[in-house]
Amino acid sequence: MPFTDREVLETVRMVELETLDIRAVTLGIQLLDCADPDLESTCEKVYAKIVHHARDLVSIADEIAAELGIPIVNKRIAVTPVSLIAAASGARDLVPIARAMDAAALAVGVDFIGGFTAYVHKGFTRADDALFESIPSALAETERVCSSVALATSRAGINMDAVSRFSDIILETAALTAKDGGLGCAKLVCFCNPVEDNPFVAGAHLGTGEAETVINVGVSGPGVVRSALERLGPEANLLAVAETVKRTAFKVTRVGELVGREAAKRLRTSFGIVDISLAPTPAVGDSVADILELIGVDKVGAPGSTAAVAMLTDAVKKGGAMASSSVGGLSGAFIPVSEDSTMIEAVRIGALSLAKLEAMTAVCSVGLDMVAVPGDTPASVLTGIIADEMAIGMVNHKTTAVRIIPVPGAGPGDTVEWGGLLGTAIVQDPGKFGCEVLHRRGGRIPAPIHSYKN
Amino acid sequence: MPRRFLTALDVQRAGQGEIVLEADTVVTPQARELAASLGVALRGPGGDHVVPAPDRGPDALRSSQAPPLPEPEDRGDGRTGVIVTVIGRNRPGILAEVTAALARLSVNVDDISQKMVDQYFHLVLLVSLPPEGSFDEFKTTLECMGGPEAYAVRVMNERVFRFMHRV
Repeated sequence: MPFTDREVLETVRMVELETLDIRAVTLGIQLLDCADPDLESTCEKVYAKIVHHARDLVSIADEIAAELGIPIVNKRIAVTPVSLIAAASGARDLVPIARAMDAAALAVGVDFIGGFTAYVHKGFTRADDALFESIPSALAETERVCSSVALATSRAGINMDAVSRFSDIILETAALTAKDGGLGCAKLVCFCNPVEDNPFVAGAHLGTGEAETVINVGVSGPGVVRSALERLGPEANLLAVAETVKRTAFKVTRVGELVGREAAKRLRTSFGIVDISLAPTPAVGDSVADILELIGVDKVGAPGSTAAVAMLTDAVKKGGAMASSSVGGLSGAFIPVSEDSTMIEAVRIGALSLAKLEAMTAVCSVGLDMVAVPGDTPASVLTGIIADEMAIGMVNHKTTAVRIIPVPGAGPGDTVEWGGLLGTAIVQDPGKFGCEVLHRRGGRIPAPIHSYKN
Repeated sequence: MPRRFLTALDVQRAGQGEIVLEADTVVTPQARELAASLGVALRGPGGDHVVPAPDRGPDALRSSQAPPLPEPEDRGDGRTGVIVTVIGRNRPGILAEVTAALARLSVNVDDISQKMVDQYFHLVLLVSLPPEGSFDEFKTTLECMGGPEAYAVRVMNERVFRFMHRV
């Protein structure tokens, strides 16, 4: 036998009991050649090109999952930022492009398509402006389309005009999807230092430096890391904890590498990256907060949580980097509040505040994710929350994001059920004070001094 | 002029007759529908237009021509097997049931290992499928054996174990 029983059973246990899975196989498709002076023709081309390339995505991913014996949970599509392909048309209302993307996603059987996107970290083109205006309706009128915007980078600083506008866009999106608890905002995210090959929604899109088509894979496995730490026990010292996480991340990433290579080969395209991100689901045991508590904090959000996230993210990256030469830019630990049952519990009992969550995002792999706030939160407060998160990313040369949902009609402590992967949220209190002047000033926060590296 | 797409507007502009397309031109559904209703014929370079295979771009082409990335060490004979694991409560005859099913499917057992822990057993088989055999039928047949009170069978490709446990 080329493998020991222990090795075989370890792998089977990871899949059967510890919910090891491929979270997303995402086909990136460049749409730059769909630009057309006529918006209707642009939409036709967008639909036709996506369907043309992604027709076999779901069947091939299912075939690989069956043959390898590893579940592939989501099949998704990421496309060129729509503001770039819409520019040629000069159109102000870009909702028709979102509808074309939605119809294409439905036709090929994927649950989400990302790329209703604009990069405005330094300024707006006319098309970026049109895309911003179109976001609320696009998200309200479509089911599968996800939208993301770049508001800041370490090189350019923070575009505060864009941050302030984005706050209004969030509130408008929440209002248009009020009957679903503001769910449109779950498909809307802003970034500092976005990665252009992100396979995960809502931030998935395909940047301009990417190939014509590419396969990017997102692997997850908080359940596997959690079980490994449970077996290690509370007596082991932190070096042993880091080593255990690293070894586990290595094994999980290897599976992603195999699936990525195979998917690219069968779809006859190139393999981009494998992103190893511990991403929780509402399922019991599939929790990143559980891992933090196993590392040693009483409840996630308690003192020590930031240190625990820092260690976890770093160990995941190190294990992943040894397992694949094509590790994606987010790799680490996601802490989306509503999608993690232990994190929700921590909010419910008052252990996890918004302020502590922000501190944790300084060292996690993305940022403030799936956070619910009251529906009447002023735009100026959202501006402050977003600007703070962008500042963390800008100064630390890391990707940070904000996906925040002002739940219409809800107040602090209320529970909102979004269902499915999006889970349950408890509305968090952003506090009594805002930053009205900062919100209104406009302009840019200049790039930090250490960005001038040339 | 080469064109990436044919849209309804292009068909409308042509109005009648035929449109000759490049081999890799993508025709939008709206263009196809309008062409049919206006009686505009869509021709490819060699006769009727056929839907092209997706052009995945230059990187895809280069990837397909590049030597494959090295894989973790294999069995040395170039073959890739399938690992079947059976885990459950012990009783006489389970190994016989599993191997009988494999025999019916003309599947060869290359290696086998079985261990008992208390009243539970685990059985690991490394098998090779016949070249003409259907993987789906094999997987469905085996994974439908046993049951919640008896034993569970899982089928996974050997490469998963190689990638995970070998470098």
